[in-house]
Amino acid sequence: MMAPKQRTAILAGLAVIGTIALLAWKPTVVIYGLQAAGLYASIAIPMGLILGIVHIVNLAHGEIMMVASYATYFACKALGMDPLLAIIPAALVMAVFGWVLFQLTIKRALKAPELNQLILTFGIAIALSQSINLIFTSQTYKLQLDYVSSSIDIGDLSFGTWSFVFVAVAILFAYGLKYFLTKTTTGKAALAVGQNPRGAAIVGIDVNRMDALVFGLAIAMVGGMGALFLTKSAIFPSVGGPFTMKSFCLIAMAGVGNIPGILGASLLLGISENILRAFRDTRAWADIVFFVLIIVVIMSRSLKGRKS
Amino acid sequence: MNRNLSRIIALSAGAIAIALPLFAGDYPLQVARNVMMYMALAITWDMLLRSGQISFGIAGLFGLGAYAGILGMIRGGMPAWLSIPFAAFVAGFAAFLIGFMILRLRAMYFSIVTLALGEIFRIIIHNLHDFTGGPEGIVIQQGVIFGGSSSKLYWLTLGGLAVAIAASYWFEHSKIHFALTAIRNNETSAKSSGIDIFKWLLVAFVVTSAIQGLLGGIFVQSYGFATPETVFSADFTLLPLAMALLGGVYSTVGPIFGAILLGLVAEWLKLKIPYGHLVVYGIIIILVILFMPNGLLGRIRQTTGKRAGRTA
Repeated sequence: MMAPKQRTAILAGLAVIGTIALLAWKPTVVIYGLQAAGLYASIAIPMGLILGIVHIVNLAHGEIMMVASYATYFACKALGMDPLLAIIPAALVMAVFGWVLFQLTIKRALKAPELNQLILTFGIAIALSQSINLIFTSQTYKLQLDYVSSSIDIGDLSFGTWSFVFVAVAILFAYGLKYFLTKTTTGKAALAVGQNPRGAAIVGIDVNRMDALVFGLAIAMVGGMGALFLTKSAIFPSVGGPFTMKSFCLIAMAGVGNIPGILGASLLLGISENILRAFRDTRAWADIVFFVLIIVVIMSRSLKGRKS
Repeated sequence: MNRNLSRIIALSAGAIAIALPLFAGDYPLQVARNVMMYMALAITWDMLLRSGQISFGIAGLFGLGAYAGILGMIRGGMPAWLSIPFAAFVAGFAAFLIGFMILRLRAMYFSIVTLALGEIFRIIIHNLHDFTGGPEGIVIQQGVIFGGSSSKLYWLTLGGLAVAIAASYWFEHSKIHFALTAIRNNETSAKSSGIDIFKWLLVAFVVTSAIQGLLGGIFVQSYGFATPETVFSADFTLLPLAMALLGGVYSTVGPIFGAILLGLVAEWLKLKIPYGHLVVYGIIIILVILFMPNGLLGRIRQTTGKRAGRTA
């Protein structure tokens, strides 16, 4: 494999140049692109953590966030609480959920072929989204919050500011995890498991416990995101699904194990989508960007893999 | 199982299937059509799986075929009967072109790309309002095949199923079987035994996609309309997958068995629980992967002492 850092640097450089040009031309594209990128990255980073260390493609990732959003919604309705206060409780509850899910299902499939793992998490995704569908039907739920509609006017430019919170979370996640994995003992052990489970076991790391811990941590992160996501978006059973695919695409673009790289990849996706959204004629095609991007990324990786 | 016995069972099942419209009412026929449609898709999914490639793009090719059929009729002025082979041709040809790109990919990358391609087809059709009718879909105003007679439509679907079974049988009893099994077990050793991996994968991908397209063509003829949401529905990926897994993969009988079981359960649940009856599918997928990776058929084989297939 070519050094993923080098590629990220190139991507980041291109992104910066493009951003400056765009900022002069259509400032809202950059602003909304940045906000979208923050949302994508903060959901993708926990999935990247699982893929990098537990080596499982968790196709139920977005659905798990959706479940967290539903739980938060009903907790907030019942207690009259603000979803922002629910972030930490949601994360804790989802950590337990993730741990149980790991022990019951994922653990048993770790040694199985990759296809089994893929189908297993696919099954979990369906089970989760359909259970919610079963209980709450496909009706949408939305919280009305004043602070979400706050906006800023600069000259003739007016845009919402609340979504910048996702950018902050994404940066916090990326660098918090980097700190955790390289500076703390537990984190180093987890990183060792990710790099070489066998070697980690030989030097006395409990691989199974580490996997469970990392899985729980990642689910906690996405659970907290579920609460935060609720502030901005209406929720319905299939709201999480697209984020699974997007997250996977972003991880594949950044390279497995390169968590800060996900930030750059998200920026590319967020801005390209918003360029198409900026024009009436191309607006409907914004959804396709991502699927084209995922294919281009995977294809170019496979070509590169064959050359080396 | 005794060879003659299984032949007799297969023949009598076929005879019952053909004769069903003579004594069953409209509702059972409708259920049978749905089950057969999913069964045929399950078989085609399994045919590609025999090479170790797991496709999440069934709905994509099914929907592509469905739109090819209906557009061929409405925009191209084709007669209804021709639109069905045309649907198969379009899906097969698309698979042929795509195959050159994506059949070098393996494992999760292949799966994800097939899923993404399906979504791309859906978005393109969704957005080409003038040609495809956009999100509202498109309706066949006149000239629906067989005038919408339910028993003839039943036989048409049965015909589609027969094509899938025949192709699967051909895959099982020709040298394709050995090529695909060798690729699945170990690509390096397959290559060193002189198997052209890419060629066989392309054959499997094109044949299965063409059949999926064919089924899509039959589907729009039976319902007389297509919208992006109905023909690209995730159900067409999900249900066949769960059926094949439940019945047992790498065989023709497994998906048939799984489809009958799950299809009937699903029809029953659909009546009882309008929202979220698919949860059963998710749970079945999880349980099957965890506890019987060889499916029900594998379980039966194991307990009757026969050699079971390699774990999925």
